[in-house]
Amino acid sequence: MKKNMRRFAVVAGAAAAAFGLTAAPASAVPSTTWTVTPSGSYTATNSGNIVLTATIPMTCTTSSASGTMASTTGNPATVASINAINFGTAASPCTSILGNVTTVATVPWTVVAQDYTAATGVTKGYVGNVKAVVTAGACKFTVTGKASATYTNSTGVLAVSSVSGDLAVSSSPAPVNCGSVVTTATKPIFKGNYAIKASNGTIPKIVGTNP
Amino acid sequence: MRSHRAAVPRSPRIRARSASLTACVVLAALVPTAASATGAQEVDAELPYVCALPSGELPVTVRVSADFPGRATPGEAFSPDGVTTTVELPAEAVADLTALDATTARAATRLGVGVTQNEAAATATWRGTAEQVALPESGPLTLTTTGDVPAVTGRSDGDLAFTAGALAVDLALGAADGSPAGPGSLTVDCSLAEDAPGEGLLATVPLGQDAADPDGTPAPPGSSPGTPGASPGPQDEPGDRRRERAPEIAEGAPGGAAADRDAPPCLYDDEHPSTSASLNAYVTGYTNVKKLKGASLLPLSCVLIEQGPTDIDFFPDFSGGYLSQHSEGTLRHQGRAQTPPFEATFLTFGFTPTKATMVLEQTGPMTMDASGETSFVTLATSLETRVRIPLVLRVTALEVNGTPLAIGANCRTQRPLHSPEPDPAKFPGDHVLLTGKGTHQPPDQPVGYLLSSGGPLTGEVTIPAFTGCGAGGENLDRLLTASVSGPGNYIKQTQGQTCAVQVFNPAECTEDLQPLKIPVPER
Repeated sequence: MKKNMRRFAVVAGAAAAAFGLTAAPASAVPSTTWTVTPSGSYTATNSGNIVLTATIPMTCTTSSASGTMASTTGNPATVASINAINFGTAASPCTSILGNVTTVATVPWTVVAQDYTAATGVTKGYVGNVKAVVTAGACKFTVTGKASATYTNSTGVLAVSSVSGDLAVSSSPAPVNCGSVVTTATKPIFKGNYAIKASNGTIPKIVGTNP
Repeated sequence: MRSHRAAVPRSPRIRARSASLTACVVLAALVPTAASATGAQEVDAELPYVCALPSGELPVTVRVSADFPGRATPGEAFSPDGVTTTVELPAEAVADLTALDATTARAATRLGVGVTQNEAAATATWRGTAEQVALPESGPLTLTTTGDVPAVTGRSDGDLAFTAGALAVDLALGAADGSPAGPGSLTVDCSLAEDAPGEGLLATVPLGQDAADPDGTPAPPGSSPGTPGASPGPQDEPGDRRRERAPEIAEGAPGGAAADRDAPPCLYDDEHPSTSASLNAYVTGYTNVKKLKGASLLPLSCVLIEQGPTDIDFFPDFSGGYLSQHSEGTLRHQGRAQTPPFEATFLTFGFTPTKATMVLEQTGPMTMDASGETSFVTLATSLETRVRIPLVLRVTALEVNGTPLAIGANCRTQRPLHSPEPDPAKFPGDHVLLTGKGTHQPPDQPVGYLLSSGGPLTGEVTIPAFTGCGAGGENLDRLLTASVSGPGNYIKQTQGQTCAVQVFNPAECTEDLQPLKIPVPER
């Protein structure tokens, strides 16, 4: 009984996040050709604080990433790889009610495109291949999965807003010293905006078409 | 000239009076330790600094004022008195702070002070704190901090030169609604401008009796200095006991900088091995002694913590849950459950320096129980941690005017210090209760006491009657009890960031797995 309650509660917590994502209209025909300009390396810097939630929320005031992006075909299609991503720094670590939170990512992660709306220039997809070890005090756990996201060409903002079920807490290795607050039944949430800049300083554009 | 001695002359009458003076000493206000001197020099130095603010480097005027003794005696510790650091932030710097939506700031300063004698040098950290001030909407702002500074001892004749060096200004920023603004805190690092007069020289204190001017006008350094003996405080690891040339900075006073590692060891070892849930941390702070109308520094102490799991008990409507966590810990100093020895010096009757050496001994388990709640809807989360620890206060030495007084080997409080306990059925027995509260409203950062990251813990304690004090037929119990013991003594302890020793984090742990963060005591 208690277990069911817990699962339901976590889902309820994520509902608000999920709602925002489903609002955008999907295009009628899925894109299979993805054109990224410019291609090559990029950097991503958080715009506003990043919030990771594993039952208890954690705030990161700094987070940045870098990698490469390229045009590609298919659907879903990996339009970029995240070759490095950090959450917090030594000087300004991520924090939670349990204290400083250290997040060490196992890269590469991916940026996967699924749906493009030409009228708005918005690509829907997700950040994939997510894997990170999160430590708060003696509590340590591993998060895996993906995080739903949108990319807007006009602003260059990758808005990460995962929904319940996107991310999971790994059972191998299982959480250590976390108690019932973080278990393998916990559904972590990853939310935050990243401003993307190509190596030439411009905002990259992702355009999906179906020739 | 030669009659000017650093030490206050001891008279038989003072000795006779010492028994009653003793009573006023324990846990008394920390004022400049040890020898005072004749012909004090009042220093008020205006120094140009360059400070790194968020928008870039800006010139900042820093004033340092202090009273130095006109002369001191080799081997005897002295402290500059009345130390005040004033930082005059220009309008641009204030704009940097208001740009973070801050409306108030509370400043703490850490001024590195070089103490040199001939070519020997040591560095002291002069710490100061200020009351919260409102930020002007425009224009400059003056921050004035005060604090006690470490005692200094030279062992031989010669001049001790005090020179201002790097300055760090720690700013706690507050928004209009009282919540933390921007990142909550900001450290502004400042360095002495290249054109600073006298390269930052604050004062020169001649040691011994053979120098010329008893008023101690700045003069080139003389002969070689030495090591002190004063306040063991957190640093009772003298390290090298050989005659050292550098002047000794006693850290009986506030904490010590991380860079200097002016901190007692804080390690797990074979006797107390670590587990995957082991944390270590430093704590330090002040306790008021109501009867003496003063406050005493509680020394930088090591705490070893076994952090318990955090559990959640969901609300009936699944909109959130209650959080709880039970952890246990112990003080640890040289293998014993106690603080390092520490000193408090009190000007008994306002003029007689009387010094007590004390230690707080843990007589039972230390527990940390946290409870709070989190909302899945708003993400608002709060946690209150109650730290309980039974502590006996032991007095190990007393000095009046530098004259040791026989206190005996077993002078201590009859019972552990104790606080009002809201849940005596669950937590029986005498113990100190300190409470820390943390709240977190994403996307902002948490504020307050955070279990593994530290913060302020406060409480109120009753100091029980003393027993076993006195020797040679002189019973000092009643005097100590009458002067010191009693309820309502406010305590504020600051815990630093813990190091999770089996989850090594270079931002939180030293390479040998001690806590990297050394907290600064706050009043």
